[in-house]
Amino acid sequence: MAEARYAPQTAMVKFTMILVGVVLILMMTFGLIMRLNQSGMIEIDPILFYEILTAHGAGMVGTAGLTGAAIMWYFMGRYVPLVGAVYAIFLGLFLLGVVLILGAIFVGGYAGAWTFLYPLPAMSGGLWSGGAAAIFLLGYISIGVGFLLMHLEVGRQLIRAYGGVGGALAWPLIFGKGKPEDAPPASVIAAMASTIFNVLGIVVGAAVLVASIVNLLVPGFAVNALLAKNMIYIFGHIFINAAIYMAVIAVYEIVPEYTGKPWRASRVFAISWSVILLFVVIIYPHHLLQDVAMPAWALVMGQIISYLSGIPLLAVTAFSLLVYLRAGPVKWDLASALLVLGVAGWTVGVVPAVLDGMIMVNRVMHNTQWVPGHFHIYLLLGVVAMGFGFMAWLVRDARTAGFGTLDRLGVGVFLTGGAGFTLMFLISGAMSIPRRWADHAPEWQPQAVIASGFAVLTILGALLIVVLYLRGLTARKRA
Amino acid sequence: MQMTVLAISLVVMALISLVFIGAIRSGGRAQAPGSVERRRLALILAMLAVGIVVTIASLRPWPQAVAMTADTPTINVTGGQWYWEIDNTELPQGVPVIFNAHTEDVTHGFGVMNDVGRLLFQVQVMPGYVNQVQYVFDTPGEYTVVCLEYCGVAHHAMITDFTVVTNQGGDDNG
Repeated sequence: MAEARYAPQTAMVKFTMILVGVVLILMMTFGLIMRLNQSGMIEIDPILFYEILTAHGAGMVGTAGLTGAAIMWYFMGRYVPLVGAVYAIFLGLFLLGVVLILGAIFVGGYAGAWTFLYPLPAMSGGLWSGGAAAIFLLGYISIGVGFLLMHLEVGRQLIRAYGGVGGALAWPLIFGKGKPEDAPPASVIAAMASTIFNVLGIVVGAAVLVASIVNLLVPGFAVNALLAKNMIYIFGHIFINAAIYMAVIAVYEIVPEYTGKPWRASRVFAISWSVILLFVVIIYPHHLLQDVAMPAWALVMGQIISYLSGIPLLAVTAFSLLVYLRAGPVKWDLASALLVLGVAGWTVGVVPAVLDGMIMVNRVMHNTQWVPGHFHIYLLLGVVAMGFGFMAWLVRDARTAGFGTLDRLGVGVFLTGGAGFTLMFLISGAMSIPRRWADHAPEWQPQAVIASGFAVLTILGALLIVVLYLRGLTARKRA
Repeated sequence: MQMTVLAISLVVMALISLVFIGAIRSGGRAQAPGSVERRRLALILAMLAVGIVVTIASLRPWPQAVAMTADTPTINVTGGQWYWEIDNTELPQGVPVIFNAHTEDVTHGFGVMNDVGRLLFQVQVMPGYVNQVQYVFDTPGEYTVVCLEYCGVAHHAMITDFTVVTNQGGDDNG
């Protein structure tokens, strides 16, 4: 662990992780309801199904972002003096956004999915009003403004402390002008890169959100649908990737406490983060491989960058973690187990994602259940696992030392449920079962039955881990 | 195609999982730092080499190529909330068919499945654009059209079908 100079704002971050835990369980339950409906074991109205689908998508993406933000804020608080009021405003705007989004969905009936694909918010077929869609989009804007303020504060302080953007990204080390021991901590480099690309993504997102709201108010104001789609996927892709890249800071900061070896910012590490910064911004056309109106070069770039993005993850973060584990010994407990699971889940999930990023594969896999298959692996077994690991680490002083029975049960049930649940998505995708369908044909229902069973296990495992966190918050510190 | 992709995914995912399990179970055997950096570089170079080969092999011929001649059958497909209209529902077997897909309202996804429910191809259908996709149906029979881009509350009910008929005059390669 690099030397900490300041005290992180622990109370606000601990409160954030309570919200994360509660919302995750609720959103996982929404996911279970959808799978149960697809299995035929329960029957809900398609209108309600698509409302739940919209809430699940927006809720999970938002919660993943909140998890990453809390982790980044906490650990940057060790190195730079962050203004706590900014985090309080960020959290306030986030909660305001949640209220607006939930109101738009469950009171206003908005069911245009979290991707608000233009012009669907304005053309509901009579199912929701323009007002409900506008409130949903305003909810996003509220959350986006909060993230922007949070990132600007982190970015401002890192730039000041490390001699500019280049200094915080360890560019002197990259260009052979500095020594590794003088480079910023690994987590500072990750935070600076994540801050830059998430700010870019949020600004593009804000532009398309405002354009969509104007379109709702003044239907004559039309937007080019392909341009709007490009902007939505720049925003969506960057935002969810920022969540993962911010969450991995927990691995860089916490794992060294268990191995006794600092996570060094080597030259390869610094190069890989600058490459990630570029790749995350230009990779998004891999979401538009079936939009044949796109320039061919953009689609080829989407395929190639999609593959290349796996290299920094595999050869730097995953590889280094494996080296630390082999060089051990590692002190295993709930936190270290979940953080290692997080990196493993992220790495494994990239495999089906990269294959889907190939144009010839995408032609028969896009918008089948293959897609939720791969992103659930690196979100559920990646970001969520890292977030849970961070939660367990936050209350480590109030918990029994070591890897207790309940800890093992929590990780085991969560991993078994998550692996089975995501595997059923992949198998279903390979069998051409579409994603985002309320009704499933009888021959598709057995897959949903099995997935529902694994979803129950996932929720039970997650519930146990969240309860252990809450118990840790209220317990006394170990002597 | 789909089952091959699933098999490749499962094998590579299993290998990565085994590497993690191996590292966790190793219990911390020390390694020489020099060999670590050499192996990291080897991994990067190997991934780059595989990437170059796979990229070239998968993009040539261009997967979305549309080659139109004067006698290429061209089918107009219209998507709307929540229906499909196809101007010719009897398509020839064994020759390239071009679909011109456009929408009356929001974005839809024009996906075609064969009689055992296997997705053969798809293309996005977007306001303001006519998106073209080409396919050769090798087998006569019933084909199902589904919507593969979420388009509102009856998205899952946007289903229709067409028939591919034996091309008596041409080669039967089905």
